[in-house]
Amino acid sequence: MYKLHLILKYLRKRRIAWVSLVAVTLCTAMVLVVISVMGGWLRMFRESFHGLTGDVIVHGESLSGFPYYQEMIDRIHTIPHVKRAVPTLETFGLVNVNNLVRRGVQVVGYRIDQIGDVNEFPSSLHRQFNSKVEEAEKSGEPLTEQEKDELKKKVSFDLPLPPEEYRAILSRVRNPEKKSGMICGIGVLGIKKDKEGKWPERNHLLDLWVNLTVLPIDAERRGIDTSTPPPQDIFWIVDDSRTGIWQADQASVYVPFDVLQRMLDMDAREERDPETNTVRKIEARTRDIQVSALPGNDIYELKRQVQKVVDQVIADRAIPAYYPITVETWEESQATFIAAIEKEKALVTILFGMISIVAVFLIFCIFYMIVVEKTKDIGIIKSVGATNAGVAGIFLGYGLAIGVVGAGMGLLFGYLIVHNINWLHEQMFRTLGQRIWDPEVYAFDTIPNTMDPKEVTVILVVAMLSALLGAIIPAWRAARMHPVDALRWE
Amino acid sequence: MSQIANQPDLSGARPKSETTILRAEHLRKTFKMGDSTVVVLKSADLSVREGEFVAIEGRSGSGKSTLLHILGVLDEPDEGSVTYDGKDLVQMSGAGRSRLRNEQFGFVFQFYHLLPELNVLENTLLSAMIKYSWFGFRSNRPTLRKRAEEVLDSLGMSHRLKHRPNQLSGGERQRVAIARALMNQPRVLFADEPTGNLDAETGKQIMGVLEKLHRENGQTIIMVTHDRTLARQADRVLVLKDGKLERAET
Repeated sequence: MYKLHLILKYLRKRRIAWVSLVAVTLCTAMVLVVISVMGGWLRMFRESFHGLTGDVIVHGESLSGFPYYQEMIDRIHTIPHVKRAVPTLETFGLVNVNNLVRRGVQVVGYRIDQIGDVNEFPSSLHRQFNSKVEEAEKSGEPLTEQEKDELKKKVSFDLPLPPEEYRAILSRVRNPEKKSGMICGIGVLGIKKDKEGKWPERNHLLDLWVNLTVLPIDAERRGIDTSTPPPQDIFWIVDDSRTGIWQADQASVYVPFDVLQRMLDMDAREERDPETNTVRKIEARTRDIQVSALPGNDIYELKRQVQKVVDQVIADRAIPAYYPITVETWEESQATFIAAIEKEKALVTILFGMISIVAVFLIFCIFYMIVVEKTKDIGIIKSVGATNAGVAGIFLGYGLAIGVVGAGMGLLFGYLIVHNINWLHEQMFRTLGQRIWDPEVYAFDTIPNTMDPKEVTVILVVAMLSALLGAIIPAWRAARMHPVDALRWE
Repeated sequence: MSQIANQPDLSGARPKSETTILRAEHLRKTFKMGDSTVVVLKSADLSVREGEFVAIEGRSGSGKSTLLHILGVLDEPDEGSVTYDGKDLVQMSGAGRSRLRNEQFGFVFQFYHLLPELNVLENTLLSAMIKYSWFGFRSNRPTLRKRAEEVLDSLGMSHRLKHRPNQLSGGERQRVAIARALMNQPRVLFADEPTGNLDAETGKQIMGVLEKLHRENGQTIIMVTHDRTLARQADRVLVLKDGKLERAET
């Protein structure tokens, strides 16, 4: 009883120990913030990139893609754990947006009615998904998960305005109302948050046209055919996409798979050989096949089975080597980025951990001073019958109390900082003109602001143990003191 | 350590008896001072009976406090033996000695030695807090508090329960120290120059307290002092001279 009583007294009355309390608080908060941001970044990275690509990707290494993809898809669909396999295209292009913006972009071709089964693209759309979700929330009747899933299934490249509006905008173009829709990454259209951190209204973008130019690459021929003008076509903006991944949002446009395939000369067609005057069938090609697994299944096992299918089709159809194909899990396809972030997280954790060792030494010094200062008190307590172990227990308990209170306060401060980190970052930018979190470097436009309970628990336990560690030697010294020497100490 | 064995009883009266409860034989204690060795106790012998008030008189530096510390198992002799109720205290374990200091012995020091962060009541309860576990103390708290308040009241300190030592006079602090020493109803009270840091009048009052404890409660007291007048108030006076104890001249 006396140990607890004295620990609580010393905690309240010995102000010098508050310095070690502050040290534990600051170190705990600092490590929590760093690990939360870095860990959150890694989690966002994993979730977002996983959300872009599906679980397993059959990837054509070259821009010319690979043929017989539909056969691969049909065979992949026979694998028991497969939810869906969808072909996608990816290439480079140039866009002219309403004669206002001209830039290079990554052009992605999706079968938009199917792509929601393999990745999270539909939930990145503003007009067709997010605005409706927000509207429902504002009205006090938020959408259920089932309703959200239904919304995602309905997304399309369909033109939202009446045909006469399109004819009025591009009267010089023949049948402009029959052109395809395009979804642009939010950065392509220059859409940014306003000063209050809100995304602006953008229905006015729906009457913008985009002239897209792409470069078809034929693997059977060397180089690009420049004898004919590169294919280009007019598209209407039907929506914008915000995946949260900077590189995708700044430079990606999405068009119907079939339209892009045709523009790239990757669709199935017949070609007449001028020398032999025979018609040969050219197989349709795709760049990737994205495959999603049913929940709870091992994606590495799925990868293995998809690889078997791909190898079989390559063998059966004698697909030439100039159509290199790899099969990867989504993690493998992003391995370079993920590994870099994991290493950065580990390095930062170690560095801040080393800084926290300073707190241990600070506690040691302060507690050593307290034990010296309390020498006479230690003699008094022993003269009244406290054992050596009991006296040691006072100072160990005191150290642990510092650790517990310091870790608790550190958790509070850390939580407040992490929870409000984007606001703090914005204030820092307004006050100092410095933007530390650069989306171009960190791939996301918002700083991660969630804490992982497991990581938090580990950090708090380490903080408490560190405080205890700092108190061990002083406690041992207190225990070893001879009561008479302690009572006589001046 | 869950229940108090006895009802809180200030009298704690134990009749004087011929039984020797504390015996020291051939005690020798030396201290190293740099390169030289100082022999403080050469061959001190002492026996104390239940209910006796023994005063040990000697000049400053004669080893009185050292002898008291050895008798109260705060220190160990280099040679010799100390027995209490037949138990060899020199061979006793550290934990055993701690328990003895807490439950059987009480100490009053010249400089009071109160804990500055604790108030009067808490300082008095300190020995009880050490004796009982957290659960034991919590469950016996009302009884223990009542005993502490009664002890403090008998020493004229009931109006100062919430005061801290730096808010008390010397005499008041010594009263609190006595209260702390009496809290667990010790069988032997060791007083090391209890009036050494007090003025004459206050010292007289403190001696009055000790005398009253001895006379009314039969408290066994071993007191060391350099003041012959004070020593004469005890039942028996011994003189520590040249490291040995002798009977005082009457």
